[in-house]
Amino acid sequence: MEVVSARSALLSNYEVLSLLRELEANQLAQTKIALRVKKEEDERMAAAALSKGKGKEKEVAPPSTVLQHPIEEVSENLRTVEFEAIQYLSADYQPTSRQSDAAIAKLVKKLAQYDLTKAEKLQIVNLAPTQAVELYVIVEEIEDRMGDHMDDVLQLVRESLTAIPTSTQGDDVKEQKTNATSTNGHLNDDEGWDDAEADMDDVEYDDTGEGAGVEGDLEADDD
Amino acid sequence: MFVLSLIKDTVAIQPAYFAVPPEQAIISELNKKYANRVLHDVGLCICVFDIAQAGEGKVRYGDGCLWYKVVFREVVFRPFTSEVILAKVKSSDEEGIRLSVGFFDDIYIPIMYLPTPSAFDPNERAHFWFSAFEAPESNPDYVPTQHELLDTPTEQRMYIDNGEILRVRVEADEFFDDEPGPPKAGEGGIMQPKAERKRAPYNIICSIAEQGLGPLPWWNPQEEDEDAMEEG
Repeated sequence: MEVVSARSALLSNYEVLSLLRELEANQLAQTKIALRVKKEEDERMAAAALSKGKGKEKEVAPPSTVLQHPIEEVSENLRTVEFEAIQYLSADYQPTSRQSDAAIAKLVKKLAQYDLTKAEKLQIVNLAPTQAVELYVIVEEIEDRMGDHMDDVLQLVRESLTAIPTSTQGDDVKEQKTNATSTNGHLNDDEGWDDAEADMDDVEYDDTGEGAGVEGDLEADDD
Repeated sequence: MFVLSLIKDTVAIQPAYFAVPPEQAIISELNKKYANRVLHDVGLCICVFDIAQAGEGKVRYGDGCLWYKVVFREVVFRPFTSEVILAKVKSSDEEGIRLSVGFFDDIYIPIMYLPTPSAFDPNERAHFWFSAFEAPESNPDYVPTQHELLDTPTEQRMYIDNGEILRVRVEADEFFDDEPGPPKAGEGGIMQPKAERKRAPYNIICSIAEQGLGPLPWWNPQEEDEDAMEEG
C-alpha cells in the first residue's frame, strides 16, 4: 500500500452523506436480490429432493449457491462506520437535512465574490452559519476582511437552506428524501429480512399514507 | 472534516468472486481492508469513493487469485487544524472532556482549552464555565482557583453535560503507531501478553476556549440565558 496523496480533495458533509446513503441503498438492494435468488434455489432444490427422494443432491448443492452470490456479505467494518456516519451526518443538529445539491452549488458560486479561503467556504457549507457569532468562529479576522458583507453571507446561507424540517409543508428536498427512503422500503418489503426488518416495516407503513405526517416519522427513524 | 485520499494498492480477488464484475469485487475487497481503520498520518478511512486506475488482473504462481494493481480514492475522516466541527460530549473527567462524532470518539478537550474560568465539578462529573466571573479591578488577569469556583452559586455555572452537542475547533491531531514488535519467546515458548495501556492510533485535540465555541445553546439567542452572551 502506498499513499499517493493524503489530501487530494476536500469533501463536504453533505457529499459524504449522499455517498453513504447511496452505498446503503445499493447494499440493501443487493442483499434483497441475493436472498430472492437463494430462496428460489432452495425451493428448486427442495422440489428436486422430493422427486428423487434422496438426500444426495442436497449435500452437493448448498456450496454452489454460496459461491454464486459471494458479494452479499458486506464487511462488518464498513457497515459499522457507514451506519454511524450516516447517523452523525443526518442528526438534527446538522444542517444536511435542509441542504440540497443545487442549493449548495448555488451558495458556493455566490460565495466566490467574497475573499474567502477554500477551507472557510467548506465550513460555511458544512455548518451553515445563520448567526454572526457562528460566522466569527469560521472566518478569521472577519471584521477586517468582510466588513459589511457579513450579513450578506448569512443571508446567502439562509437562502440555501430549505425550511426547517419540522414544518409539515413538503419542500422539495424533503420530498425527494422521503421518496428515496420509501423506495428502499419497497425493495425489501416482502420476505425474511431479519435485522433491518423492524425499521423497514415502519418505512413501508408510512409509504401507504404518503403526505403531511410522513416526514416527521421518517425523521424520527433516522435518528 | 472529510477528505479524499489517493491510495495505491494491490488487491487479490478470490476465485469465488470472479463472477462478480471486477470493479465491484475490487471495491468490496478494498472496503473490507480499509473501512473503519486508521491509516497513519492519513486519517480514519470511511469507504472507497471511486477507482482512479486499475490494471489487468494477473494470476501469480501459487494461488488462484487475480491480483489487481489499483489506484483509488478513499473517503477519509481527517478534520484539518483550525476546522470547526460539531461533536457530542462522551464523558468528562479531571483531565478534560472526551467527545464523539459517532463513528470516531478519540476527540479530546484538555482543560487548558476550556473557557476561563472553568472548573470540574466532581459531584456532577462535569466541567462548568463560570462566565459571570469578574476579575477585580486591581488585577484584571486574576484567575480564580478551583476552590473559589466550586464555591460559586450553582445556578450561575454553565455546565457542559454528557450528551451535549459542542461546537469545537480542532487544534491538533496526533497519530500513534504502536505496532507490536516481533514476537519474543517467553518462558517455555509462551508469549506473555503485555499489560500496557493501549494508545488510540489517532487522537484529535480540540478547543472551546473561544467565543462562539462550546455547547450550541450558549450561543443560540433563541434558547440563551442572559449570561451566555456576556464575555467570558
